[in-house]
Amino acid sequence: MSTDDATTAANDRLADREDMIVCVDVDKFYGDFQALKGVTATIKEGEVAVICGPSGSGKSTWIRCINRLEVHQGGDIVVDGIELTNDLRNIEKIRSEVGMVFQQFNLFPHLTVLDNITLAPIWVRKKPRAEAEAMARALLERVGIPEQAEKFPGQLSGGQQQRVAIARSLAMEPRVMLFDEPTSALDPEMIKEVLDVMKELAMSGITMMVVTHEMGFAREVADRIMFMEGGEIVEVGTPEHFFTNPTEDRTKLFLSQIL
Amino acid sequence: MQDANQGSVDPEFQQGIEDRESSPHEIPSLPVGQWLRQNLFSSWVNSVLTLFGGFLAFFALRGVLNFVFSENRQWDAVRTNLRALMTLSYPESQYIRVWVSLGFVAGLAGLSAGLWANWGGVSVKRVSTWLMGTGGLLAVCVIVREPSVILGSDGKVVRTLEGSLQRESFLDAMVNRSSWWIAAVVLLVAGIVLWRRFASATHRGSELPVTSVVFLGLGLAVLSLWIAPYGHYAFISETKSYVAESGRTVAFSTKLPWTVMLALLCSFFGLGRLLQRSEYGGLIKGASNLLWLVSPLTLFWVVLRDPALDYGHVISTDLPMGLAFGALGGAVLWSLTRTGVGEAGRLVATMLLGFAIFNWVAAFFGWYPMLQKARISFLLLAFAALLAPNFMGEIAKRRQLVLGWLGVTALVHYLATMINTPSTVEVQSSEFLGGLGLTLFVALIVVLLSFPLGVLLALGRTSKFPIFRMLSTSYIEVIRGVPLISVLIFFSVMVPLFLPDGMELAELAAVLTGYTLFSAAYLAENVRGGLQSITKGQYEAADAIGLTAAQRTSFIVLPQALTVSIPQLVGQVISTFKETSLLAIIGLFDFLRVANSVIPAQSEFLGVKREGILLVAIIYFFFNFTISKYSQRLERRVGLGER
Ligand SMILES: Nc1ncnc2c1ncn2[C@@H]1O[C@H](COP(=O)(O)OP(=O)(O)OP(=O)(O)O)[C@@H](O)[C@H]1O
Ligand SMILES: [Mg+2]
Repeated sequence: MSTDDATTAANDRLADREDMIVCVDVDKFYGDFQALKGVTATIKEGEVAVICGPSGSGKSTWIRCINRLEVHQGGDIVVDGIELTNDLRNIEKIRSEVGMVFQQFNLFPHLTVLDNITLAPIWVRKKPRAEAEAMARALLERVGIPEQAEKFPGQLSGGQQQRVAIARSLAMEPRVMLFDEPTSALDPEMIKEVLDVMKELAMSGITMMVVTHEMGFAREVADRIMFMEGGEIVEVGTPEHFFTNPTEDRTKLFLSQIL
Repeated sequence: MQDANQGSVDPEFQQGIEDRESSPHEIPSLPVGQWLRQNLFSSWVNSVLTLFGGFLAFFALRGVLNFVFSENRQWDAVRTNLRALMTLSYPESQYIRVWVSLGFVAGLAGLSAGLWANWGGVSVKRVSTWLMGTGGLLAVCVIVREPSVILGSDGKVVRTLEGSLQRESFLDAMVNRSSWWIAAVVLLVAGIVLWRRFASATHRGSELPVTSVVFLGLGLAVLSLWIAPYGHYAFISETKSYVAESGRTVAFSTKLPWTVMLALLCSFFGLGRLLQRSEYGGLIKGASNLLWLVSPLTLFWVVLRDPALDYGHVISTDLPMGLAFGALGGAVLWSLTRTGVGEAGRLVATMLLGFAIFNWVAAFFGWYPMLQKARISFLLLAFAALLAPNFMGEIAKRRQLVLGWLGVTALVHYLATMINTPSTVEVQSSEFLGGLGLTLFVALIVVLLSFPLGVLLALGRTSKFPIFRMLSTSYIEVIRGVPLISVLIFFSVMVPLFLPDGMELAELAAVLTGYTLFSAAYLAENVRGGLQSITKGQYEAADAIGLTAAQRTSFIVLPQALTVSIPQLVGQVISTFKETSLLAIIGLFDFLRVANSVIPAQSEFLGVKREGILLVAIIYFFFNFTISKYSQRLERRVGLGER
């Protein structure tokens, strides 16, 4: 396997950074079916890692394990020095450090955009409402929809909803952001507005794990691309390595289908 | 580039939303003739059906009117018995309590309405249609009712030689009903004027705020008490005589309290409006919710008991003992939540539980005397001790447990003291509160108490802990497998056996308990339906932003689940309200029973039943119709968030 080489070959810019997410031999079973088979990877602080691979390869399962939406059965996951165990306090801590953006947005339909964003800062971070609202408005500005604060999610377009979802995660001031196919449920004309926000985020230096099929985004923004298949990481490398001379046949096959 | 992109997408999109919002259910209006042709006479089948339905409606209306205005009706039976219909024989000297309770509810309702004031508007067109419709219906009623029987100077009917009744001519009848005509015309004209104004308005869908319309209506109704000659009818209990003076306004003791009620409603509404926008809006909303939750108990004390507390005993015995127990228990809990307590803590908690259970066993066999209050207190302490491991560690958490336990214990002690003390309200029999007062009292308390219980049961039934799931499921299934009437009988017969001496009104308290437990099971099923409609994504999103399970439930899951189940919940409220008439079977005097058997038993009105029952039916309908209309409105308004 070329995994180890590629890990060390990762972008120089990250060479002396701390480890942010460390997964060692992570196994995950759904009944008898093994969805993750010994996934091992280290993601540095400030790194943007793009995960791709065919449907059913375990991409979602993996990143959902990282904030404990799924429980892994074997191996270790350590996020920012906190190990994910059954201890509720660790889970709480990790969830307030890790933001997640879903394919289906999952905004709270009964709350206004502003309330969607301020809910967690007020109740989890115990911020005063005024402060939380000011921050929410600033975040809406940042994702380009300051004028939608008072609306309900149902009154927004898909792209706007996804940007609100990003703002909602950012409101917790996370150190890590997980994206699970954030643009797959969007119409083509709205994909760009979401990707632009994500690019801006990547520049800001936050650690990101992004499951996506947007290869243009991966080529432009990713520090590393990880290719998964059958619950395993098959190949890891810089975008350059990945798009120009992938070593594994399975990667080549996948790339030929998607590009 | 991004901006340009946005510019091209957003405005259109927003435009679409605004269009939808401004005309939610706008039906294009047609000229009357065309509307009739399209809707009622579009085909010959339709025409026949229309004519047939029209005849049915005509005869039904005529029948009702002739019944109501027949010379055989003794409306005095209802009018002079209004007090009996409302509260039966509730002591007149204590009446202020009923008004105080009603005032409390009115104020609280006003406050809540103000705090959540987003009632929206009702289109002017709608209001003018109501006005014209009512006016038109009134006019039709005046015409279709058959001419009245002629009464002689002695007030008796005049008969012809053959013995048949003599009726006034149609023309005379129309003239005699001039006051009705005037009312109809006033309504029609008001409607037309509004319509005109509306038609000339430049922008579509001009609206009046719903709250103004409602308050205006209530205001006019109360004002009419002061000026309209409804007549003064009453039963004077001192002289045991009936008063029936037509042509006067109602008694002072009626119009003044109602005016105060309206004033309370309006002023608290205004207060709520003010506070809504203040900094403490959220806090006050929480407080008013809490008030609703405790209001049943409060009302129970105010209306039914207000016990004569022996303050000497309270201060010399109850308080010191309670404080000592609180201090001791608090210290135990505090030490049980120390970080290093380990196995020893569990042992102490188990021993406490054992002792608490032993107290109840001992009570059963009569081994040693102990206050019921103390038994309950020990049980509570044992439960708190069992919970201790969850609150271990930080000072704040430990304090939470101790303070929570203290609060619950204080409440229990307060209630137990009140229940054990003789009431100052004189109770002659179970008749003492009855009528609409009893019906509303029971309905309000049952709805308010069973609501949180039902929500808890629903959460329990969908919980991931098998023990909660099992308990809730079996509870719900058992209750749903039993008819209400048997639950009521069970509680009215069995519960008094468990109550301490000196507690009066056991019957009503027991019935309330049984009815609440019954209603909660059904509410739970309705809420569960709503819970199931919440998608997995909502739970995951809530988890991902770091909410705790409790926060997730109260901010994300329940609000949505309850919104979805509004129609079923309201259906349950309505049926709870209607089924209070079953209280008659276990010997209480509800509204219907007063009309059906109390009034007809009075020597003045022997066998006069139908008038009362008609009134009861109308009032039931009025309440339920209002509730159901309100819920439709609520559904539409909260639906806003769902689109
Ligand atoms: N809750 C579940 N129960 C059982 N099997 C599951 C569950 N969730 C996922 N799986 C299985 O685990 C495997 C990995 O699923 P996962 O959702 O991680 O794939 P993915 O790579 O994200 O695919 P896609 O690109 O389609 O989203 C699949 O074979 C899927 O069928
Ligand atoms: Mg997936």
